[in-house]
Amino acid sequence: MAALLKVENLRIELTTRDGIAPVIDDLSLELNAGETLSFVGESGCGKSMTALAIMGLLPDKVGRVASGTIMFDGEDLAKASDARLREIRGNDISMIFQEPMTSLNPVYTIGEQIAEVLRRHQNMDQAAARSRALELLDAVRIPNPKSRVDDYPHQMSGGQRQRVMIAIALACEPKILIADEPTTALDVTVQAQIFDLLRDLGKETGTAIILITHDMGAVAEMAERMIVMYAGRKAEEGPVDQIIEHPRHPYTKGLISCVPHLVAQLSDDRPELTEVRGIVPSLMDFGRDECLFSSRCERADDKCRSSRPTEMKFKNDQHSACWQAKEL
Amino acid sequence: MSGESSGNLLSVENLTVRFPVKQGGLFKRKTFLYAVDDVSFAVKRGETLAIVGESGSGKTTAALAVARLVDAHLGTVKLGEHDFLTLKDEALRKARAKVQFIFQDPYASLNPRLRAEAVVREPLDSLDEGEPSKRQETVDELFKAVGLRPEQQRLFPHQFSGGQRQRIGIARALATRPELIICDEPVSALDVAVQAQILNLLRKLQKDFGLTYLFISHDLGVVQHMCDSIAVMYMGKIVEHADRKSLFNNPKHPYTQALLSAVPSVDKKRREATKRILIPGDPPDPINPPKGCRFANRCPIAVPSCSDSQPALRALGDSHTVACHLVDC
Repeated sequence: MAALLKVENLRIELTTRDGIAPVIDDLSLELNAGETLSFVGESGCGKSMTALAIMGLLPDKVGRVASGTIMFDGEDLAKASDARLREIRGNDISMIFQEPMTSLNPVYTIGEQIAEVLRRHQNMDQAAARSRALELLDAVRIPNPKSRVDDYPHQMSGGQRQRVMIAIALACEPKILIADEPTTALDVTVQAQIFDLLRDLGKETGTAIILITHDMGAVAEMAERMIVMYAGRKAEEGPVDQIIEHPRHPYTKGLISCVPHLVAQLSDDRPELTEVRGIVPSLMDFGRDECLFSSRCERADDKCRSSRPTEMKFKNDQHSACWQAKEL
Repeated sequence: MSGESSGNLLSVENLTVRFPVKQGGLFKRKTFLYAVDDVSFAVKRGETLAIVGESGSGKTTAALAVARLVDAHLGTVKLGEHDFLTLKDEALRKARAKVQFIFQDPYASLNPRLRAEAVVREPLDSLDEGEPSKRQETVDELFKAVGLRPEQQRLFPHQFSGGQRQRIGIARALATRPELIICDEPVSALDVAVQAQILNLLRKLQKDFGLTYLFISHDLGVVQHMCDSIAVMYMGKIVEHADRKSLFNNPKHPYTQALLSAVPSVDKKRREATKRILIPGDPPDPINPPKGCRFANRCPIAVPSCSDSQPALRALGDSHTVACHLVDC
């Protein structure tokens, strides 16, 4: 089966005051129809940049795709015109953002904001768009949609606003939904509801989901495959259960063990958390020919500090960009 | 229960915090929102009590009231023998040195115009702690204790990363040699990999300085790692209070059960063993809370009589209390 989305050797450059820096450096990935893929990593590792590049929403004049291709449905999105991208956005690929408070327009009713997408992309008339908006509000489990459709965003709770965002994103039954930290601003019980909703809707419509997060628990719960990103590069890729069981990159290992997780049966001993020393390198160091994680890695040796690791592929479909992946 | 004899450093009884709400016209009765409603808890010296709950549950307000950063309407907050809430003027200023606060957002809680050393030194100067000539020495020691280099004292807050800023915040809280430190979501603004550094540091400092923590968090994984006992709040009330192991292994209140079941987990065994309990809808309007149990309208096991009266906290064994009509004691 051919992949729905295929990104090859993507390089995104950002122009900063200090010069040009590659925020995404030689990234390749595939997304299959109907699957849930997760991007994991700390902030500043390029997760959101990759998503924005797929959507054609890189910040104007500052960011650009320097090389590589983003193939979707036989079309290279990296070379598509603005008009073409506008057609695709919201229709074939759509996105929900972290802050449901700020990503809705405060001066339009939620019904109008859902209907707008339908009128724009599906050429529906006023009445049809409105009745479809009601159906969508019902599908995202907003209680009593008839009385809520004319509400403004400020009249809804955070969880409800995120549901409205999901309704807007799914209005045109897109092939890909990109969810950028969709629940970080929400309480855990609301997060659980949103995850259930995304999972059910994904199953019903066959939409492939890219979930961007830093929470390994959420990844384990939601995704089938994950890509761990570090400093604009892919550190590790593979099936979620397998990677959690046996990470093949020290960064992945650190990300999993540095967070205190709830376990099935809690015992008295509380070992110190494994720390990942230091922080993500600065943008200006991103392009270097070395393992960018070497400054924080306990296993790093001279080879790690002098050449960028090539991706090693394991039999079980795990990939790791670490010189010592075999020994891990 | 008098403070010291039972080993409690902090004991809070019947704490109530209310805020006036503007509603209606000139002749309308003044209404109040009870953010913290008749809450009692105690923390043993050298231990950590966590208060967990979702946004709007009143956990931060309770913490602020303990530190007298908001005014309590009713109740007592005993620190050792003294009621902290009735202290005035000089006695209050002296007592403030014993209670310090670590804030959630290290980007907003440091004065951008002060050098790091001045930030840490400020509480020493304003509370007049120790000899002025020795204060620089104290600052040096604190920088070392929280893992910052001496040459970093001259830098301004914006020159530090988030984790380092939180270390400055911790050093400032430690400056007056407090007994109680209130940590309000100390790691939730930090990147995952940096959280571990701060959590380990907090536990190390607790051991080294014999600190008592009141730890406010919504992250149950972090709470599980940090605390000795936990109070779960819902709409201004404590619904369950237990030691760490009983709460996590044997939660009794339906809200606690739902809260724990909602936490995503990397542990496959836990994922397979947990059945997610969904609590639909939203909490009721806090200005007009229902007469009966406040969780009744979302509770998966509620019966009609739950809406008649408020459940009181009842003891279930040694260190486990729960406020639910339907849990057998």
